[in-house]
Amino acid sequence: MKDSRNCSTVQLSGVLVTLAAAAVVVIVSIFILSKTPFSTIYYFFIGPFANKYYLGNMLNSVVPLIFTGLGISFAFKASMFNLGGEGQVYAGGFIAASVALLIPSLPGVIGIFLSLLVAAVCGALIAGLSGFFKMKWNTDELITSFLISNALIYTIDFFITGPMDDPTNNLLATRKIASQYHLLRIFPPSSLNISVIIAILAVIFSFWILFKTNHGYELRLSGLNSEFARYGGINIGKYIFLPMLWSGAFNALAGAVSVLGTTHCCIKGFSNGVGWNGIAVALIARNNPAAVVPAALFFAFIEAGANSAMINADVTIEIASIVKAVIFFLITSRVIYNSFRRKALV
Amino acid sequence: MSNTGFSFPVIHDAIDIMTPFLLAGIGGLVTELSGMLNIALEGLILLGAFFSVIFASITGSLFLGLLFGVITTMFIAFIFGAITIYLKANEFITAIAVNLLATGLTAVISFHFFGTKGNLVFDNFARLPVFDLPALDSIPIIGDIFLGHNIIVYAGWLLVFVFWFVLYKTPYGLRLRGVGLNFKAMSALGLNPKKYRLEAIVISGFTCALAGASLSLNIGAYVPNISSGRGWIALVVIYLGGRTPLGILIASFIFALAESFSNYAQGFINIPADFILAFPYIITVVALVLVSAIKKRQQKIS
Repeated sequence: MKDSRNCSTVQLSGVLVTLAAAAVVVIVSIFILSKTPFSTIYYFFIGPFANKYYLGNMLNSVVPLIFTGLGISFAFKASMFNLGGEGQVYAGGFIAASVALLIPSLPGVIGIFLSLLVAAVCGALIAGLSGFFKMKWNTDELITSFLISNALIYTIDFFITGPMDDPTNNLLATRKIASQYHLLRIFPPSSLNISVIIAILAVIFSFWILFKTNHGYELRLSGLNSEFARYGGINIGKYIFLPMLWSGAFNALAGAVSVLGTTHCCIKGFSNGVGWNGIAVALIARNNPAAVVPAALFFAFIEAGANSAMINADVTIEIASIVKAVIFFLITSRVIYNSFRRKALV
Repeated sequence: MSNTGFSFPVIHDAIDIMTPFLLAGIGGLVTELSGMLNIALEGLILLGAFFSVIFASITGSLFLGLLFGVITTMFIAFIFGAITIYLKANEFITAIAVNLLATGLTAVISFHFFGTKGNLVFDNFARLPVFDLPALDSIPIIGDIFLGHNIIVYAGWLLVFVFWFVLYKTPYGLRLRGVGLNFKAMSALGLNPKKYRLEAIVISGFTCALAGASLSLNIGAYVPNISSGRGWIALVVIYLGGRTPLGILIASFIFALAESFSNYAQGFINIPADFILAFPYIITVVALVLVSAIKKRQQKIS
């Protein structure tokens, strides 16, 4: 594609077709499932904007999606598959909570920084393990990342419901972290907090790394054509391992900011679905960090809409999973994109 | 399930436990040989488990439940395959779609028709019949280990043989494997490789549906996430089995034996339930990494 503007128009048209199909599926399934379809549709599409509380919470749920979207983008850019997002997000949240509970009386900024840092490093190592196996023995990272993630989920479940459970609370969760580690709320009464700024900084950082540094150039080149990259003198083994480190670190941060900013403790299964959604966000954004933000917004909207429809009407929240499935089915279709490409060329 | 009536309960249970791995494994093998890694096995098992038990309760018939359950799952596999192959979508991403659809669709239907997203228990149809040969019961060991399983267990063994025969002894199997080896060459030979891949995916839908049905029809109930990672273990089983039906049979037995043993050990040592759930994932990762490390070493030597 010579004309880069043309190319991005094609990309955008393809994405819009997919999202339109998803919207159609929402409406059709609501008509099938709901006794009061029109009000259910209203709650689905308008509910997330109904008041400050809903709007703020929806915007807050964009934050972890931005992090996982970035995390998966880093892996995809290097043609690596990280299917372990679920476990990495969960581990990130669990480790951030554990660190904050271990050092309960440091100044807020230092404690927050340490929690985020340790969570990111652990997440990087978890995903990096799959990258390492791939680099060393060509073990399929797609399968190992998923299996390791699931093993982690159950192991963390054990700690949260067992030795680390807060006995004073009915919730299956760790104890609350000290209040100086809570990220500042900026849109009361909702949970929206300054982690949204950390997320925007992460987007800028990722964009800079991927597109403005030599490291990012080599990473993208290894992803596009590893043989070519190898002939160009790039150590492609390195770009099997490093993207997984980035990927795991960002995924873990998604969990860590949820704990420090929203829940203030690690609740059992709090990350359910965030890892998979990160994959969808990265795909909608075509792995471009800048586009991760609108893609994450869209996804947060679907979740919030399904949630609002569940609370106010007679459908269940899993309706969101069906919508997501439609997006996953169509978003990578080359036929859909090519149909626009031909028109764009004419 | 420790059957105290059997003198080799660990092995007897392992034969039951291996069935979903085996069935999903041989279906996954067909897609694997046609050149696609099918990570939708997990979702297809879940769909098979759900729809077979739902249709069995609607019709009141075990057989019709199994039949419609299998057909529905094959239909969803067909959609998955058609989108992947004819709309040229990424096979991993569409497979994730199947897995998401499976958890979403089962919860939505369950909530809409039964008012719950929890366990669905039915008692208006028979359990899977258990196969017994009184004549063989008296033979020690063999009778203990190989008799007294439900019919899907035996169907699984039969299918391993059928799949081996079709894949390696018929022109169809040869062509299907040819598609996996060289997609373009098969196209040049005048075959339609896309059709073979689509059929492979639908076949995997068939065996995964049986795998799922063996879980739900056996207890007459559907439990959310009843597949609990078996589709992923089946994927690893395909690799460890060297991508052959016999290898898959052996590998799924080894995994099942490990699981059966850990269930059995529960009786003596108190291991937290979460660790029992994590256990299959840990041993599959370890096994996968070990085998790939050994393969790499062999490659270096040769």
